[in-house]
Amino acid sequence: MVKKKLVIALAGNANVGKSVIFNHLTGLHQHIGNWPGKTVERAEGTLYFKGYTIDLVDLPGIYSLSTYSLEESISRRYIAVERPDMVINVIDASVLERNLFFTLQLLELESPMIIALNQVDIAKKKGIEIDVNRLEELLGVPVVPTVAVKGTGIFQLLEKAIETIEKGQAEERVKVKYGKEVEERISDLTKMVENTRSQYPPRYLAIKLLEGDEEIVNEVERMEPSIVQHAKKLASELENIHGNSCSTILTSERYEVAGCIAREAQKIIPPRRPTAEERLHSITTDKIVGYPIVALTLLSMFYAIFAFGNSASETLSKIFYGIEPLFAKIFGTGIFGALVWGGVIEGIIAGVTVALPYIVPFYFLLYILEDSGYLSRIAFLMDNAMHKMGLHGKAFIPLMLGFGCNVPACLGCRIMETERERLLAAFVTTLVPCAARSVIILGLVGQFVGIQWAFALYAFDLIVIFILGRIAFKILPGEPTALIMEMNDYKLPHLRTVLKQTWFRLAEFIKIAFPLIIVGSFSLKLAEIFGMLERIASFLSPVTVTWLRLPSISGITLIFGVMRKELLLVMLATLLRTTNFAEVLTPLQMVVLSLVAMFYIPCIATIATLIKEFGLKKALSITAFEIIFAIGLGGVASRILAMIL
Amino acid sequence: MEIKSSEGPIVPLTMLRDGEAGIVVSIRSGHGGGRGCGFERRLMDLGLTPGTKVTVVKSAPFHGPLEILVRGSRLALGRGMAERIFVEIEKVW
Repeated sequence: MVKKKLVIALAGNANVGKSVIFNHLTGLHQHIGNWPGKTVERAEGTLYFKGYTIDLVDLPGIYSLSTYSLEESISRRYIAVERPDMVINVIDASVLERNLFFTLQLLELESPMIIALNQVDIAKKKGIEIDVNRLEELLGVPVVPTVAVKGTGIFQLLEKAIETIEKGQAEERVKVKYGKEVEERISDLTKMVENTRSQYPPRYLAIKLLEGDEEIVNEVERMEPSIVQHAKKLASELENIHGNSCSTILTSERYEVAGCIAREAQKIIPPRRPTAEERLHSITTDKIVGYPIVALTLLSMFYAIFAFGNSASETLSKIFYGIEPLFAKIFGTGIFGALVWGGVIEGIIAGVTVALPYIVPFYFLLYILEDSGYLSRIAFLMDNAMHKMGLHGKAFIPLMLGFGCNVPACLGCRIMETERERLLAAFVTTLVPCAARSVIILGLVGQFVGIQWAFALYAFDLIVIFILGRIAFKILPGEPTALIMEMNDYKLPHLRTVLKQTWFRLAEFIKIAFPLIIVGSFSLKLAEIFGMLERIASFLSPVTVTWLRLPSISGITLIFGVMRKELLLVMLATLLRTTNFAEVLTPLQMVVLSLVAMFYIPCIATIATLIKEFGLKKALSITAFEIIFAIGLGGVASRILAMIL
Repeated sequence: MEIKSSEGPIVPLTMLRDGEAGIVVSIRSGHGGGRGCGFERRLMDLGLTPGTKVTVVKSAPFHGPLEILVRGSRLALGRGMAERIFVEIEKVW
């Protein structure tokens, strides 16, 4: 072989340590993007080994190669069509049988592969001992035991991958042998599809045709419709024999084979006393104690983030504004200087002082929770509450994130399985009062009207979230998904992987939000310099003055609030030339203004995120809805509350 | 695969008490038909094929999800979905 460039893909179930292996192998030479046209993440990295330049692709964590989810169909397509030189199948030694089910499907795709038998340490703790040689023999594929979090076996894994590529794979790999009736029909179909020009191996096509796999059926239909007809006939014959759907029959038999191999290769001697991880799991999912633990964990997480964020944010702005005089000296204080400073630099400052202090610790702690396995326990406990909004337990996570900042929260909605749920969760998330909105509620209403009114606003917000979530859930077409989630054993998070994930999320935020924040603040500065603001204010006065019964100046502050919600308060102080808002606003006006600020529009960075995740149309629909909703609500509230306040 | 239908009563998974086990007999697909079968697929891919032993570890309060053990892995299952999984209760010995 003279080929010096290799492509190796990592494939396997979720939470088996694939990304840890990926990080070990690629170090800093990696980039994370999306699969073309999809919202599924694609992690790719480069490494150099024994004279080869290796392109390593980390495929999404999946349980099967059917087309249940986008991730599965992407992975399958990638392996069959792009044909990497080697697929490293990472499997969790502590859940061998389930992982082997996936391995068998990879084998059916007939791609060259080796196996990384990961987390052998965790398996050992659970009393599971795996005979690596036996497993290798049974599968006909090289197996390398690894403990990725400690870096054990990673070098050997890479060496084995290269060796296997160079020598070529042994031919006696295990083949799932189905029952006699099934095999007959598979070989019948295999002969028929042999002449089609599909990228998939003929036997694989035959199996998937019998299972009625949508993507494969469509592909074959385009080439040779008669084959599909024939497959349907064969499948219904099988269904008559077994009394089950064909995909059920084949999945069962595949699992049967996986079970046999697992039983042959592993010895399980359960430890006499439950392990520490096991006991921790019992406590954290306990029917009574579980909830206070969730509350305590989240509260201390928020406290830590806000404590850190506040002081870091202040320090950063001090540093930035410290250079203002110097800047004024260089660029002058004329229109140009004002534009550059007020428009561009202040936009950057705004971004940095928000992004770094709050978003970084937020992500860091979130990934610690996720990596350790606790997040799935929270989802387990909160599932029922989320169901009331047509979402399931996992949606609790982006919702929590929303209290910090809506941007990571919207991105966090990716953990939901279907497009519909992603959108539903994101919509609900944009209504969660983020840190900036809390500043308004507490700074305006809490301080000048009374803290009980501030809490009333929060409570009202939660009610609105609940009601709108429920309505959206009824309106959006499609069925709700129930929670199906693996709860992996607790483990110590791998710090380097967590840091890297945090870093990539931060980079993503900067890429999405910064351009818009800067363009936005630049145009506002421009409008200010040319005296456009008063005109905008009077243009908006039918809404602000007549309908919402607010001072005309509030129109300007609402526009600034789109940049960053807390700017609303800052601008209010600037324009009214006082921070004692009680002098210029009635309590009623303060409550109404805060109410509108809570809902009226996602901030510009959130809008950008929505566009990125769901496209322009859906992002604008959410935005338009929230503007109309907030204004309508504000007007009604100003009339009703006038009777009390 | 043989399903012994005469041994124990067949009930939805949600009827099992904490710690009880059963053998999967069938999964009823969701209402509305058609696309609903996605969940069935998902459950089978995770190992809940007919004939498999499932143990209910515990159920979350207020009609929350179930924690189950299947083929050595621990899963959380929404209650609505668990109601559609029919199991034969293992004989008490």
